[in-house]
Amino acid sequence: MAGLVASFGSGAMTNSIDEFEDADCILITGSNTTENHPLIANRILRAQEKGAKVIVIDPRKTQIGDLADIYARQNLGSDVAWLNGLINVIISEGWYDKEFVSGRTEGFEELKAKVADYTPDKIEQISGIPAATIKQIAEAYAKAENGSIVYCMGITQHISGTDNVMSLANLAMVTGNVGKRSTGVNPLRGQNNVQGACDLGALPNVFTGYQAVINDELRAKFEKAWGVKLDGKVGQTIMEMMNNAHDGKLAGMYVMAENPMLSDPDINHVREALENLDFLVVQDIFMTETAQLADVVLPGTTYAEKDGTITNTDRTVQRCRKAIEPIGDSKPDWEILALLGQKMGISNFDYNSPEDVYKEIMAVTPIYAGISYERIENETLHWPCPTADHPGTLFLHSGTFSRGLGALKSIDYREPAEMPDNDYPMQLTTGRMMFHFHTGTMTRNSPALHKEVKESYVEVNPSDAKEQGIVEDEKISIASRRGQIEAKARITNKVGRGVVFIPFHFVEGAANVLTNPALDPVAKIPEYKVCAVKVEKI
Amino acid sequence: MNCDFVLTTCPYCGCGCNFYLQVIDGKAVGVVPCKTHPVSKGTLCIKGWNAHQFVHDEKRLTKPLIKKSGRFEEVSWDEALDYTAKRMLEIKEKTGPDSFGFLSSAKCTNEENYLLMKLSRGVMGTNNVDHCARL
Amino acid sequence: MIDKVRQLVVDLLDSGRADAVLALANVHANVQPYLYKKGDSLDSLALWPKYSMGPILKSIQAAQPDMKLAVVARGCDDRALVELAKRGQIDLNNVQIIGLACTADEATECECANPYPANIDVGNKVDGVASTDLLAELKGKSYDDRLIFWKQAFDKCIKCYGCRNACPLCICEECILEDDSWVKAGEIPPPFPIFHLIRAYHLSDKCVECGECQNSCPMDIPLTSLYALIRNEFNELFDYIPGAEIDRKSPLVTSLEEDPIREETA
Ligand code: SF4
Ligand code: SF4
Ligand code: SF4
Repeated sequence: MAGLVASFGSGAMTNSIDEFEDADCILITGSNTTENHPLIANRILRAQEKGAKVIVIDPRKTQIGDLADIYARQNLGSDVAWLNGLINVIISEGWYDKEFVSGRTEGFEELKAKVADYTPDKIEQISGIPAATIKQIAEAYAKAENGSIVYCMGITQHISGTDNVMSLANLAMVTGNVGKRSTGVNPLRGQNNVQGACDLGALPNVFTGYQAVINDELRAKFEKAWGVKLDGKVGQTIMEMMNNAHDGKLAGMYVMAENPMLSDPDINHVREALENLDFLVVQDIFMTETAQLADVVLPGTTYAEKDGTITNTDRTVQRCRKAIEPIGDSKPDWEILALLGQKMGISNFDYNSPEDVYKEIMAVTPIYAGISYERIENETLHWPCPTADHPGTLFLHSGTFSRGLGALKSIDYREPAEMPDNDYPMQLTTGRMMFHFHTGTMTRNSPALHKEVKESYVEVNPSDAKEQGIVEDEKISIASRRGQIEAKARITNKVGRGVVFIPFHFVEGAANVLTNPALDPVAKIPEYKVCAVKVEKI
Repeated sequence: MNCDFVLTTCPYCGCGCNFYLQVIDGKAVGVVPCKTHPVSKGTLCIKGWNAHQFVHDEKRLTKPLIKKSGRFEEVSWDEALDYTAKRMLEIKEKTGPDSFGFLSSAKCTNEENYLLMKLSRGVMGTNNVDHCARL
Repeated sequence: MIDKVRQLVVDLLDSGRADAVLALANVHANVQPYLYKKGDSLDSLALWPKYSMGPILKSIQAAQPDMKLAVVARGCDDRALVELAKRGQIDLNNVQIIGLACTADEATECECANPYPANIDVGNKVDGVASTDLLAELKGKSYDDRLIFWKQAFDKCIKCYGCRNACPLCICEECILEDDSWVKAGEIPPPFPIFHLIRAYHLSDKCVECGECQNSCPMDIPLTSLYALIRNEFNELFDYIPGAEIDRKSPLVTSLEEDPIREETA
């Protein structure tokens, strides 16, 4: 989200889900939308039904690519290049929104000079997208009355992830496609409460509602609310914690409902890191790979056994309601944390219900201050919603950006951290698929989902398969500099030549044994979406 | 016999579909899409339709566990939480707040994320709190 | 209308003629199925949007077979209950039906041909929707063009199984849509046309035109039009309307030796 914060001043989906239906052009990149956000795909296809152009730019031609009006396959990690290319065409053809650019943004001249180098022919070389297609996409998006951009992890999980997002923001601003209905730059959140985890300050640099820990005034506010002294320096990200644990500089960790042993890149490194800790607590619903390494395992509950709120990808705060009693002696996670806080000798941790906790959240979080349990019984409220009579905010940045003027950033294309070479001549990209979710903790324990896809697989392009004599369902070896796994081949044109895809949900054949932990320098997101591998018959 | 329909939010992707968990005598037996919900409008994907299935899985953790000489042993909540609190405070004392880290979860509620964040910052005294969503 | 339903529900519960009444309620500003019991306030009672009552009734009977139940049923619910009873899925002997006729607006929204139950307790019978524009358009197309139309429509399918899950008459314990030898598992969209044709043919003697499949489709695929085409052919062949007559078995529920098609054409 760092990219959107830099460009606009706020890092969430700019528009709301229903608005897609009225867009005239929707540009989707790095999102396998029908499989991973089906109900958003629904709105996009409804827009298409009404005449909107759907453009998909993705290294994998997934279902949404098949359904698109224009599909282009870019080389892995070449996003800044083709985005600069689009902007170049749009500026030189005079299709940009002069009024918006001069009134609401800064940095246009620099951007114009920067993108001038990215001619369609040069783009074709770097990204593999034909020059003619670049022009066609530029025209469709720039000339649309309302153009929406949709992206997901395919854009962010690169060392240039922040650059990619800022480039998307550039494209939207240059064409005036932000701050009004059915436009915007819209990151789709993969898990049901990613938005909420960010909003509530489960980040090393901010308290709730993106209030910076380094800001003395804001910190003083929280000190007063909690009655404790607080630290004013930014904390460690998950990747930094893992590295520090690995180097013996972190003594303990508390992991709530996450399974870094499957979700983090370079799993072998993660295992060493976690084993190196003096003390590891894992709170989860199943004995995950991470829980097995713990000193203490605390049984939390599923969503079905707890009350609370969840914030979806378009900033709507919704209720989760307790349907059944906790299984066995398990306890809802909020209750475990409240009890632990009390045991650690803190007086203001005695909450009786999630609503108790939520009232405290409202009091310290301006963007949530007007969203109460009571109101969301009857209303759909998107944050920011600062007061009890505020209607909530469907789309952000109307009239002015959170940061004032929108920042057009001049950015150069950089290669992915690891390019193919003689030893590892192919490229791996990873992701999710329809039938499973994240590390499979829930879906692999759901018979109907397990039945659809029981084990890991690797997608191989037919030409590559033919060259190596690989046949459908054959178990093959995939190796990177970090490790080696085996998986069954699925031969398909979804992936291009020289590229293989592996979903990351499975312990056996775990894609993240192979992935590269190289980080985006700003967002600290690892480059899951590209690394060099070799693929061999066993 | 009791048969209830409890409106809740899907635990999977960020679309935020709502559905009813059908509960018969305390057991979640099925999912009924909510027809009046603004996002899902009576539809769901395959994950939402089957969101009740893992809830009663027999592999669910039901007791707090402490690893004693390499093996997990079932303990009471009091013992587990006392021990956890003691070890955490020891680390804070010995190597400082920043030698401890918290991983929160995009699968938990807002309230739970808030409490973990507060535990990290307000109780342990460290800003080392993050979640796996950047991943 | 709603007051009359309320009164009937209260009478059934208070008199002890029913232990519980399955209806709809407005809770948390949304409409949901609700099992009313004696003493419950009926202020929350709601009638629309409809939910399919058959499968819920079946799950309640499975948990407690001897419960005296009543259900507020529209035309489609009524037919589904009859068809389910015929196929041994539910026992109607213990069930009282409060028949609710749909309004003209409701019938239009559902594109329903028969918007009323066999016995109407509340509301007035209105005319159904005889055919739709899409159905007319499809009938006008050649078979090749129809195939293209359905291929394009089903390219959007995300294999949520919502059409099957929501259908009151999809009652097989083992669904062959999940059998890898018929439909390759794990593919999106699922193989065309086998996935969708299996369902269409399996429903040819069961479909009660409730529209729940289409309402449940996240990809807005016009499923009921496909099923209507098949159902109409079936009706012409066998003069059988699913859910219409409780004591007439489906002509497809038969042994292979009897082979009804050959008899008719011979
Ligand atoms: S039902 Fe599917 S689309 Fe809807 S929130 Fe759940 S996972 Fe997402
Ligand atoms: S096929 Fe569709 S319309 Fe027919 S009974 Fe099933 S859900 Fe209703
Ligand atoms: S409901 Fe629609 S998307 Fe889902 S399986 Fe049926 S046809 Fe496909």
